[in-house]
Amino acid sequence: MSSYSYGAPALKSSVDLQLQTAWSDSKWALVVRLAAKQFATSKDPYYEAIKICAESQLDSVREKWALFVALDDLVKSKGTPDLDIIELYEWACHEFLGGEIKFAETFGPLRARWVKSNAKSPKATECLQDCLEHWDLVNSQQIATRLDKAYANAVDRRYRFWYIVLTHLLSISPQCSDGERNIYKTLALKTLQRAADFTENAEEELKQTDRLLLLEEEVCLFYRVLLAHGTKEDYLSRLQSPKLGAIGQLKKGNKLLFYEALDTLETWGEWDQIYKLCAEALRLGLKGETKLFFVCDMRIWKKFVGAATKATDSETALSELQTILKQFIGLKDQATPMYKKNISLALLETTFRLPVTALNPTHENHRGTPRVVQLALFLDQYFEKYATFDDIKGYVAELSFEEAKHLIQDVLPLIPGEVSAENPNDLTHKANQIVIKAMELKLRYLLTTCPQTLSPLPSVIDGKAQDKPFQCLFCSNPASLPCETCLKKIVVDASSTYAQLNDKKLLDLVPTIISLVDRDPRLDLALVMGTALLKLAGLRPQIPNFAQSLWQDVKADTILQAVLILDTQLKITNHNGLRLLLVQLYLLFGCASYAHELWRPMDVKRTIQDSLSPLFFDRISSISPGLFLGTRPLLEPLGSYFHNSLRADCPMKIWDAFSFSSYTSILDMAEFDNKLRTSCTVIMALVEERRARRCFGGELAFAVDDYPITGTFSLPQLICNLLTLLIFTADIMETTTLITKTDYGSFPNLESAHGPAIQEYLRIGPGLSNERSHLAFLTEQYKDLLLYKPPKDYQPPKDNPAKAHAVAKLDRTYTDEVLRRIRNSLQDWLHKPDIATHLTPAENTFYTVVSLLVPLVTMSTNPSRARPNVSPSLNLLTTSIKSTLGTMKAGLLSASNPLGQDNLVQRTISVLADMPTFANVRDTALAAKYSTAWVAAFNDRENELDKTGQWGLLRVVIAEIMALESAAIKTLVEAKGHISQLKAALDESGWLDGMIDVVLGKEDTPEDELDELTKAVSDVVGGRAGAEEWASRMVESWREGVKGWGMVRME
Amino acid sequence: MANFRRFRPDDLNKFSKCNLDPLTETYELSFYMQYYAKWPSLFQVAEDQDGNIIGYIMGKLESSPAYYKFSEHYLPWHAHITAVTVAPEARRLGIGKLLTEQLEAAGDAAEAWFVDLYVRKTNHKAIAFYKSMGYSVFRVVEAYYGDHSTDPTQVSEDAYDMRKPLKRDVKREHIRDDGENHKVLPTDVW
Repeated sequence: MSSYSYGAPALKSSVDLQLQTAWSDSKWALVVRLAAKQFATSKDPYYEAIKICAESQLDSVREKWALFVALDDLVKSKGTPDLDIIELYEWACHEFLGGEIKFAETFGPLRARWVKSNAKSPKATECLQDCLEHWDLVNSQQIATRLDKAYANAVDRRYRFWYIVLTHLLSISPQCSDGERNIYKTLALKTLQRAADFTENAEEELKQTDRLLLLEEEVCLFYRVLLAHGTKEDYLSRLQSPKLGAIGQLKKGNKLLFYEALDTLETWGEWDQIYKLCAEALRLGLKGETKLFFVCDMRIWKKFVGAATKATDSETALSELQTILKQFIGLKDQATPMYKKNISLALLETTFRLPVTALNPTHENHRGTPRVVQLALFLDQYFEKYATFDDIKGYVAELSFEEAKHLIQDVLPLIPGEVSAENPNDLTHKANQIVIKAMELKLRYLLTTCPQTLSPLPSVIDGKAQDKPFQCLFCSNPASLPCETCLKKIVVDASSTYAQLNDKKLLDLVPTIISLVDRDPRLDLALVMGTALLKLAGLRPQIPNFAQSLWQDVKADTILQAVLILDTQLKITNHNGLRLLLVQLYLLFGCASYAHELWRPMDVKRTIQDSLSPLFFDRISSISPGLFLGTRPLLEPLGSYFHNSLRADCPMKIWDAFSFSSYTSILDMAEFDNKLRTSCTVIMALVEERRARRCFGGELAFAVDDYPITGTFSLPQLICNLLTLLIFTADIMETTTLITKTDYGSFPNLESAHGPAIQEYLRIGPGLSNERSHLAFLTEQYKDLLLYKPPKDYQPPKDNPAKAHAVAKLDRTYTDEVLRRIRNSLQDWLHKPDIATHLTPAENTFYTVVSLLVPLVTMSTNPSRARPNVSPSLNLLTTSIKSTLGTMKAGLLSASNPLGQDNLVQRTISVLADMPTFANVRDTALAAKYSTAWVAAFNDRENELDKTGQWGLLRVVIAEIMALESAAIKTLVEAKGHISQLKAALDESGWLDGMIDVVLGKEDTPEDELDELTKAVSDVVGGRAGAEEWASRMVESWREGVKGWGMVRME
Repeated sequence: MANFRRFRPDDLNKFSKCNLDPLTETYELSFYMQYYAKWPSLFQVAEDQDGNIIGYIMGKLESSPAYYKFSEHYLPWHAHITAVTVAPEARRLGIGKLLTEQLEAAGDAAEAWFVDLYVRKTNHKAIAFYKSMGYSVFRVVEAYYGDHSTDPTQVSEDAYDMRKPLKRDVKREHIRDDGENHKVLPTDVW
């Protein structure tokens, strides 16, 4: 007996008690008998429907099909169907919906037909809800049309807008044809335009019964539809309307349209319009027509200032802008701290956007310019606030070198003021000095990322070739971007300030500072030191091979110094940004279990997983598959989130939005739902889980693009192994654009906009992307095909050769079709010009090899293609794959062999940081092995079936395949040995001291012989003793990781 | 700096500054969507210059069911603050206050009688914040929370049901001066 998550619907009250009881007790055999008896006497089709539904609950396939036949008859019938029968059938068919039964072709039209004759019934709205909950927009729109007509004069105005919003949704939906979409576009647009015209022209106050645009949601819906389907001229003209325009709506306290309109105008470059709207909106506050600071958001000021500089008459516009701004500055005392700050920032924005001639017409002072003065005033007011650095960093990055130098060297030190003579030990003053010092160091770091702090150097000076292209204007040393001398000085200065705070006399200051600024200044100092050290190490975005660069062009010891400083700081201040940085760094070094320890306390759960989980889980199976061996499935929370969020066909809570007349919410929810279903995170979760399961020989119950419809798996089972996600990936096609939404917002970013953000430096490879997700998904499909095993109860028709041939032919056709699709898609993606920017080199090689393996397999599924003319192409493929395997193997296994090398720790760290490349070597070899094994098995099977001798791969082809298999097996054997060697290397003694030696120098090195950076780091972390626990954690994490790799199957 | 605007579903992908903070609860998607679907004007956010959400408030408009009408605990049409949070880096700038004022304005626009909220009796900081904004204790809901925030030996904690009258309540009928003395049980709270 099948189990249903939905209870059976109640039978009509006219049904007799015995049948009612049998039905509610789920005694289906009895129900069948009683209903048949009732039907025989009454001829009421309702009883026949009860009988059919009860039969469908029995375990016989024949009865289930009877239900489908009955439903089909009902759909094909012309009359008005009985709603009670529809409901019975829908319940009985529930588990087949989306599979054998398409709602939009069955229950949708049935419900629409019923509403056609019963539009005034309260049940009509339920029919609409049902169609919406199955996201059947065609029938929903038809029902809404009926309801709109039926309630044309009703007080409830929702029917009109349900009709409009559904017509609009259909006009942008793939559920109808292009021609139909055009009709729906016109319908939605014209209906709303007419309503808008009536609203504008209505002389009396509008009543609820008027089917015009009264509420903010209705007005905003109109503008959304106008934007989608109307003309720009109409949009611009309507925006000026006194009633329905943006300013008219602001006067009513409705801000949404104003904001949406500004964004639209910006995309069109309508600066005059933006300027005019912003000026009018801000004046409304000054005139008291809205709250004073109603639109005093920073984005409004930014748009206002930006538009004024680009307006046709920018001189007048800028003058008017300054007048309005001055009025707000005069009223600043009435504002909350947030709006006060926004007004101060507006002044800053204005100063930076005004033409230089307007600010400093005489060009007399290049240092103390109005821009520096305004920054100084802002800093004077807000230097102690947590977000001040983020507020000003964009402006500081725009300063000329002279201005920046003046700000940092002359202005900043003045901000804490003079210590008073009466209180020379004033703690607050000292605290302010420390805070300003931390700000200075952050700004100095920021400026190392700005090109204006460097001047070009001639490539040859005094006959000597220069190895640095610039001269740093701050320190006058030859430099590249960033200037290493400045970075070193920043680290040393930050360390010295940090050490002062750790001094017993000043340690008491920390709580005072925290009470002032909500933040321990040591955190800022550690972040400056950490990021400066990362740059000094030579870390740069997307290094082609991080591990091979370690100790060569990237200095691993310096990166590890950064890691040590940041890790030490995390023990003092629990800061999520710092934690996220460390998680990335530990993943980069292959310390996945330690990274996981740091990740867990952030409690990334439920809704925020889509945007945050890629920060830890992307590529995790290639870094440390052993993590998947824990007691709780690693990706279970992510799987559970997607399962809960995507199990319905429709956007979550969409009916609530209809019921509450939230029309813009409906449109946004539909768009969000679509993005959720095509999130790269879904693919990441699925692929990582499957790769990890394959590592340990786990069974995969479904193919990656299968659609489980029989519902025979218990929910916990589904959630636990993530297979539930397969349901949602069923509709992913090559043309589907998969969306990346990784949230880097919490990363502490000291970089300027002149260069990449900090996370770009820290990732193992390029972030999640549409391209990589598709390649990973296709490769999983390919593996599914190769590793498919028929169900155990499947018996090949051995005693019936004709049938066996027919089955084999079907198999070949299917395989051919799937392989062709995978091959074409892989080649399309791999031939995209920028594909290399989305993959690590090892991933690129792996996917390229798979794209060669697919045609190799294809050749062997078709006898005509396996004939002599094919062998040269086959040889080309196998040679190419073998050569790639050899190169990958040589690159990874030989060059970084940790044993027998002088620098055991350094060598081993390189290898440990390169496990993702190792994983790709293994995957490539396995893909080759699976492919050759599949070809051999296919050939054997075909030979067995074909008694004529027509079938059969040529001996030379077989030899090629076998040679490739040998190469793959050899690679896997060596990979296994590689892990053993790594384990042995990690088991060597002296790791702890070795690690600390790498980071802080040899134990017996006299302090005055330590380089300045090492000394600076040592001072902050408390010397070797302070680094011991950290080193042991890293080593332990590596050991755990390698232990996990030791359990991974290499066959 | 901050911008104030209505929540959009895409904001959920920019929640890290607020929701990685241990004091902020992360709910299931359906919870956020329910509020956005039903009361979009009562779901407001503050965003920083990079579009990160640095504060948000979620609220609803409701009244007790009609069959409750003659109960002393009947709640007339009112706005309710379900959640309000500000990212650590954006605190002390009055963002919480501005968000709350926006919800109150939405409550006024919907002709609600008052805004109410529940707060732990030991959350003195939050109570002081709400009092500074004109909220007062209307009643004490005994053992409303199933744990205690400061005393691990306790299995529950009382809540203050705090209220602020809106424009409609001209006669101030829905607030009381001695709310701390009016104790009710969780079962009395609809």
